[in-house]
Amino acid sequence: MFLVIGRTFKEALSNFFRNGWLSLAAVTVLILSLYILSLMFVVTKTANGILTDVENKVNVSVYFKSDATPERMEALQNQLEKNADVASVDFVSREKALENFKRNNANEPIIIKSLEEIGDNPLLASLIVKANNQTKYDSIVSAISGSDYKDDISRVNYGKNKEIIDRLNKIITEIKKFGLGLVVLFSVISILIVFNTIRITIYTHKNEIEVMRLVGASNTFIRLPFVFEGILYGIIATLISTVFVFVTIFLVNSKISTILTSQNLLSVFYHNVLFIIGVQLAVGIILGVVSSMIAIRKYLKI
Amino acid sequence: MDKKIVYNTLMIRFDQVTKKFKDDSPALEDINLEIKEGEFVSIVGASGAGKSTLLKLIYAEEKPTIGTVFFKDKPLDSIKRRKMPFHRRNIGTVFQDFKLLPKKTVFENVAYALEACGAPKAEIMEDVPQILDIVGLGEKMHKFPRELSGGEQQRVALARALIHKPLVIVADEPTGNLDPVSSVELVELLLKINNLGTTVLLASHDKDIVNKAAKRMVILEKGKIIGDEAIGEYKIS
Repeated sequence: MFLVIGRTFKEALSNFFRNGWLSLAAVTVLILSLYILSLMFVVTKTANGILTDVENKVNVSVYFKSDATPERMEALQNQLEKNADVASVDFVSREKALENFKRNNANEPIIIKSLEEIGDNPLLASLIVKANNQTKYDSIVSAISGSDYKDDISRVNYGKNKEIIDRLNKIITEIKKFGLGLVVLFSVISILIVFNTIRITIYTHKNEIEVMRLVGASNTFIRLPFVFEGILYGIIATLISTVFVFVTIFLVNSKISTILTSQNLLSVFYHNVLFIIGVQLAVGIILGVVSSMIAIRKYLKI
Repeated sequence: MDKKIVYNTLMIRFDQVTKKFKDDSPALEDINLEIKEGEFVSIVGASGAGKSTLLKLIYAEEKPTIGTVFFKDKPLDSIKRRKMPFHRRNIGTVFQDFKLLPKKTVFENVAYALEACGAPKAEIMEDVPQILDIVGLGEKMHKFPRELSGGEQQRVALARALIHKPLVIVADEPTGNLDPVSSVELVELLLKINNLGTTVLLASHDKDIVNKAAKRMVILEKGKIIGDEAIGEYKIS
């Protein structure tokens, strides 16, 4: 058995190099397919990260009336924290709100000036409520406005956010659907192309296969070199396409890092590099081997 | 291995064999033929007479439509698909178009047949140069087939056919692409191999070649055996 594996592997290596052009064609097609799949993966993953970021920024602000007592405010906060749908509740005092406002508008001297002219702090204390899940905001809002504390509340600015949240939800699902569709489409295309390329390489070997059968080579002995060749295609294509993906991401990242501050394509790539290589290897090898096995069946009749 | 030449043992037997391809008239019809161990049999006839089909039935590239082919008393249709390679190792084949692997050297082409059978490396290193010496190509074993003449290529093919000491050599129009001198040399090599005890089947439509062999002759015409002579002479061509 060891002898057979050694010999057929050597055979595969020599086939690979002596049929340079065809090997190159097969490997190139594999590289392209793997490259596209990997890029799609990184981009989808980054997009997901961006969406999660945006989702995290969505919240409901509950503004208290200026005469609401601290005890009442704290009581509402405690009640909300017990709600299973709520992820977090942050209390923002009037002083803190003013501080934030001043910081956010530090570049607008007119606003700061007019604030000084008012003298008093015009801002209200609030609770920033975040839900576990986008879909829970409705029930949280109705829980707040139906509670005993509704008289202490000036307004709940959810109505304005609601539209944004709903639209965001739609976009998220659309992007996920679209990405998945693209990945499936490209997978099918690459499987077909790789399968055909390998079929052609095997077709050019049909005389060899005939001779192998005539000299009494077992089917395993005939098949294994092609299987190994398929594995070889997969490994080489994975290495090259990983380098290409890295270079592409590196170049693109430097261009867009100014726009996208929260997400970094390169770090997404680094975090998933083993997974990407693993999946590429698996896809490449399985594609190579399965195509070879199917393509060669035709020539192993009788 | 000590190979005794016993001319009474049956090597190949065709029992009422008919072979049809699709709807055409049969390529072979009602063939009854016995070939004994150590015989040299020329199978002659015009192209299309069924010579190649008859040989293919022996090395099981084709299956008979009706009837049975026996190899050493074993019906070929009883051999399982998986075991067929072992049957083929009993038979060395030589063809008009040589069927050498162009990407392999002479040495590799011959060694391949042994590797496929799982022979150890030491045996390959010893046997291959030896058999190439016998066919007169010891000097050229590291050349590629395209660097050789037709006659030389055919001798490589013969060396490959002989390398695992087959019981039978099947040669299908082996001189079809060769010049007259190379053709005569090849037949002389086949006769020599036969003298050493291997059964030889030579199919040809070239009367000079088969008459040179001057051995038993089976004459095919339109898929039927019309003549079987102990020392035949092929007149029509």
